[in-house]
Amino acid sequence: MTHTVSRRSFLKIAAGTGVAAGLNPTVRRVALEPFVRPPEEELPGKATWYASTCRQCPAGCGIIVRVINGRARKIEGNPGHPLNRGKLCARGQAGLQVLYNPDRLQNAVRQTGGRGSRHFEPLQWDEVLDQLASSLRGVGGGSEVAFLGGLMPTHLYPLVTRFLEALGSPAPVLFDLHSAMEGRTQSHDLTQRWFGSMELPIYDIGHAEVIFSFGANFLETWLSPVSQSYDYGTMRQGQSGGRGFLVQFEPRLSGTGASADQWVPVQPGTQGLIALGLGRIIVEENLGRVGSHREHAQLYRDVNVGAVADASGLPVERLQKLARIFADADRSVALPGGGLSSHTNASQSMDAVMALNVIMRRLGRVGGVFLPQQVPADAFSAPISPSPFRDLGKLVQNMRSGRVGVLMIYGANPVYELPRWSGFIDALTNVPLVVSFCPFIDETAVQADYVLPDHTYLEGWGYQVCSPGADRPVVSSQQPAVRPLYDTRSTAEVLLSLASRLGGALAQALPWPDEPTYLEEASAQLFGSSIGVIDARTEAGFWSQWRQVGGWWSAKPIMQEPELAGLTEGPLQVPSASFAGKPDQFPYYLMPYESIALSDGRGASQPWLQETPDPMTTASWNTWVELNPETAAHLGVTDNDIVRVVSPQGALEAPVVVYPGIRPDVIAIPTGQGHQDYGRFAAARGANVMDLISPVPEQEVSLLAWGATRVRVEAVHKVMTLARLESLDGEGRETVR
Amino acid sequence: MEKAVKPSAKTQKNASERRWGMVIDLDRCTGCQACVVACHAENNVPVVGEREAASGRTMHWIRIERYWEGEYPNVKARFMPVLCQQCTQAPCEPVCPVFATYHTAEGLNAQIYNRCIGTRFCGSACPYKVRVFNWFRPEFPEPLGEQLNPDVSERSRGIIEKCSFCIQRLRRAELDASASGNPLADGAVQPACVQSCPSSALIFGDMNDPESHVSRLALSHRAFRLLDFLGTDPAVIYLKGGETNV
Repeated sequence: MTHTVSRRSFLKIAAGTGVAAGLNPTVRRVALEPFVRPPEEELPGKATWYASTCRQCPAGCGIIVRVINGRARKIEGNPGHPLNRGKLCARGQAGLQVLYNPDRLQNAVRQTGGRGSRHFEPLQWDEVLDQLASSLRGVGGGSEVAFLGGLMPTHLYPLVTRFLEALGSPAPVLFDLHSAMEGRTQSHDLTQRWFGSMELPIYDIGHAEVIFSFGANFLETWLSPVSQSYDYGTMRQGQSGGRGFLVQFEPRLSGTGASADQWVPVQPGTQGLIALGLGRIIVEENLGRVGSHREHAQLYRDVNVGAVADASGLPVERLQKLARIFADADRSVALPGGGLSSHTNASQSMDAVMALNVIMRRLGRVGGVFLPQQVPADAFSAPISPSPFRDLGKLVQNMRSGRVGVLMIYGANPVYELPRWSGFIDALTNVPLVVSFCPFIDETAVQADYVLPDHTYLEGWGYQVCSPGADRPVVSSQQPAVRPLYDTRSTAEVLLSLASRLGGALAQALPWPDEPTYLEEASAQLFGSSIGVIDARTEAGFWSQWRQVGGWWSAKPIMQEPELAGLTEGPLQVPSASFAGKPDQFPYYLMPYESIALSDGRGASQPWLQETPDPMTTASWNTWVELNPETAAHLGVTDNDIVRVVSPQGALEAPVVVYPGIRPDVIAIPTGQGHQDYGRFAAARGANVMDLISPVPEQEVSLLAWGATRVRVEAVHKVMTLARLESLDGEGRETVR
Repeated sequence: MEKAVKPSAKTQKNASERRWGMVIDLDRCTGCQACVVACHAENNVPVVGEREAASGRTMHWIRIERYWEGEYPNVKARFMPVLCQQCTQAPCEPVCPVFATYHTAEGLNAQIYNRCIGTRFCGSACPYKVRVFNWFRPEFPEPLGEQLNPDVSERSRGIIEKCSFCIQRLRRAELDASASGNPLADGAVQPACVQSCPSSALIFGDMNDPESHVSRLALSHRAFRLLDFLGTDPAVIYLKGGETNV
């Protein structure tokens, strides 16, 4: 009996199975065929969707990429992903412009005219790897290999540590400005001190009745903004018990502050002190419905509410009112934000904020503080924390003394992000060989000998353990959505090929023939886990679904209740923050803040993000200086007038934005611009606020106190029209141009 | 083999029975600009660069307006996303000399790009200032052109363009629904801005369906419409911020 299938019904079946299959795993190793000879599942003009992970920030949101004829056309949130739940932020949407950026490096290069010459000569990969391998052979004895990374993807970190260990070199140093500005290291330390865990805590914003946010811009760039914004929406209008209440404590009204019900413009560096005062009032007056506060009296023994009021500028009555708002709610939560990490008293301030959650017994309660449940496999269990700032100092010292023979830099742009006094750029001259893995020629790549461009994230493999997590353990998988555009190579592959070239202990430490094999082996650890969403009978089936679904997560929400470990014995204290610069010479506090579009500067290469107006000032494409109307009047400047901002360390010029939501003694400047390199959209545009950041003598060495600089502002009597959405000629009325 | 069952007139809603509409909950909006970039990506909206942007020639189809209230220290900022309001009585339509701007059966204000001759009368007539003009030929330095969505035509110099409620998505969903014979479910089709919105401030659906999410939200006491007194009868409904739904 013959059974014929007509063309029409074949197409129907094909369409039906396409829908049933939903998302597609990419072919295992070769990403995609060129579409001159289309692969079988590709119909011309029909979209194929690949699940992957966003890499525009370290949050690890799940994405699905719409691919038509082998070209990525749109990035959307993965609706099945428990972290971002189908949503995506502006930066996530702009990922296509990382992939299709006209200024990408198209092959491996060597800088032939010496560092900084910008004369690059293309090299064959085999040639580069041979040269690099022979340099690595020379390492040993007095010299070592150093690896400086941004907060790197979780799949790459173990490879790098094994690589360095086998070479007998110290562990990688992780530093990037974004992590520094969200206070990631300090958040890890905070949970370590209080709960004996290295995981980042999860604040249940979605179910909270009252949120006290101490400098946490959780709707913009802090930790996991998409997930937190989703929960914020629920907090506002999605709860059965009514609308949540948000109070924001910060010197400048941020985008998050704009969404708050109350903004408390606190003196820079006193947020922790205010938290301490609130705690003291709650304990003293036995506020709230949690029973006796007697056991917490010890914590606040040394706190004088009057002194807190004097130092912070908030009257005692206001503090009492706020304490009542926080204590009277059934579900309140306090967030220790990135702003706290900008001051010398960061850790004590964060302790004071966390103590509010502890005394109100908000640990492990709905709308309170949780710890994530660990992913049940070794490969995914250890969270990665950025290095304390002192590790960077040690690295710079080693570079200067000539101990570092080879410096590898991945996912970080220290030449742009670090202030000059850190000594990084000067120490670089003493390093014989500098290798950058950046897909672009950024400021750091310009100071490198070799640039070995990595794939962009839509072309590469990997996974990310989401930290801070969702309401359940999540590993988000990354797979190529398109075939690599250029002759680039993933950094993991480079390390693996170097290992096989060098042989010996290194080859034993990194035995995988290629990156997908390594990832498949790691993911297989989760095969058979009873709590996961993936239901596969074989390891191959698991690997396929891992890529198809976009990762692994548990089917049901699971979080841990944090258990208190120590610390609560002694009384809490928050020393006053120190600042660089004498108040008589430098009368204003400088508050750098992270741009919602450009982040710490990594978004500056993407024109969509450049043209995205800043939500608060509606300005784009440049840097500006925010002044309180009173301050502007005092200086005799107004919108678009250029001012010179001078700190003990440096100076910059930028146009003024008169900003009603900032303290008169504070000026604010966004990060992200002032690149010298990094492509046509980023270079020679605006100014870099990091040029102003000065070292603080009392600086705690574990952090870069990026908000502890005083400045003065001088009018330079020049004008520049800043590109703003808002028209300024409406006689004080806000109108659209 | 059995013949496929054709969708009957009963299960399929006629396009003209729909009224696509959007509800924007200002209490949820955080001003994060995700919608703005999502729209650029979906609709091939060009980037104009710093100089033109400073002259007010940005081409965002959706923008976040920010309003200051009060003075320091009792200052508040409020956000309002503004896009084409898809008016029932649209001031942009009657002024077009070449009928490039017209009203569809579903009540959308559509723009036929290859009819447009660039008089910009519609842009002048629009009280919401949501129509944008291509002053120059859009540039996509290679290979940036690969990002373009093949479902949406590129516009050239001298053309007015604006938000279409992602008409390409609506049409695709309608075609898919009629091919499968299943009625189009509420929430099954979303414009790019609605889909990306992290705090779910934007909701999209059929205003003529009393059971749809948008219809139910539109009944809220918080609901208002932009410049309602002009009588344009917009299909975009705003929900006031700072209050609870009752």
